[in-house]
Amino acid sequence: MSSQDILLRDLALRIGLAARALPDTDAKRLFTVLTDCVSLPITEDKIGSINLKTLKTAQAGEFSNIDDALLKKALHILKHSIETGDIQKPDIDNYIEGDMPGSVRIACASNDAINIDGHFGSCSQFLIYQVSAEETRLIDIRSTNSLDGLDREDKNKYRAELIQDCQVIYMASVGGPAAAKIVKLGIHPMKLSGTEAITDIIDQLQTVISGTPPPWLAKVMGIDAINRFRFEREATG
Amino acid sequence: MALYIVEADCISCGDCLPVCPTDSITEGAIVFKIDKKSCTECEGDFDIPQCVKVCPIDNCILPLEA
Repeated sequence: MSSQDILLRDLALRIGLAARALPDTDAKRLFTVLTDCVSLPITEDKIGSINLKTLKTAQAGEFSNIDDALLKKALHILKHSIETGDIQKPDIDNYIEGDMPGSVRIACASNDAINIDGHFGSCSQFLIYQVSAEETRLIDIRSTNSLDGLDREDKNKYRAELIQDCQVIYMASVGGPAAAKIVKLGIHPMKLSGTEAITDIIDQLQTVISGTPPPWLAKVMGIDAINRFRFEREATG
Repeated sequence: MALYIVEADCISCGDCLPVCPTDSITEGAIVFKIDKKSCTECEGDFDIPQCVKVCPIDNCILPLEA
């Protein structure tokens, strides 16, 4: 196999994703049509030159019956690198230490920035929120991209250190050794039973904070022992 | 001799409850608690206290000062 035959990994992945956006199309079918459009080898530049008309008429009109909107979507996927995809980054709120007394800082392991859908060891980012009973602020988004290349052991430690100013981390899943590294840094790991919306989790947390937080949470929130004792009296009394 | 659970550190996971050989651990109103009258620190049953062994939090279950 010559180097010309090797598709860049990223490009190959995009062809696969674009094929999925089209009805009854696998990567092989799309690849055949693309080959007819631009001839082998398929390169980044050649893909960039394909327009809707070429795609529709290539391979004797293989895609002529497919809706224009779907073809446009497939073209968009083909031409845009995956990292800079469609995911919109939410805005970050200003926060100065001490702004929100009685609050807790949480990290949410996420891939789509909307749900807690990430595995601790593989999610693309951690969204950092400061949450009090009344208010929530998104104070930071920490990408994990820079961690590529580190070996497995180091990676989880580095990920834990990335969020070590947080008191709690929520994630869709986490392994045992990674959880141990999280606990060691004084962060409380919360593994959800599945994917949940970040807003739902924050709502739940606010309900807990405004009610009677469990002692460990009161402790990390900096509620002193006297007030915690009051909570206990209310709960037992 | 008996052990106690540090209330501020217990996360109420409940892992300690089933491993106690004397059934001294119960879920209290706030966190789990150990009955100091029946806790033997596992002496006669195990080499080390089983609740301490399974507890995920460091220094959360400690010996009660005599």
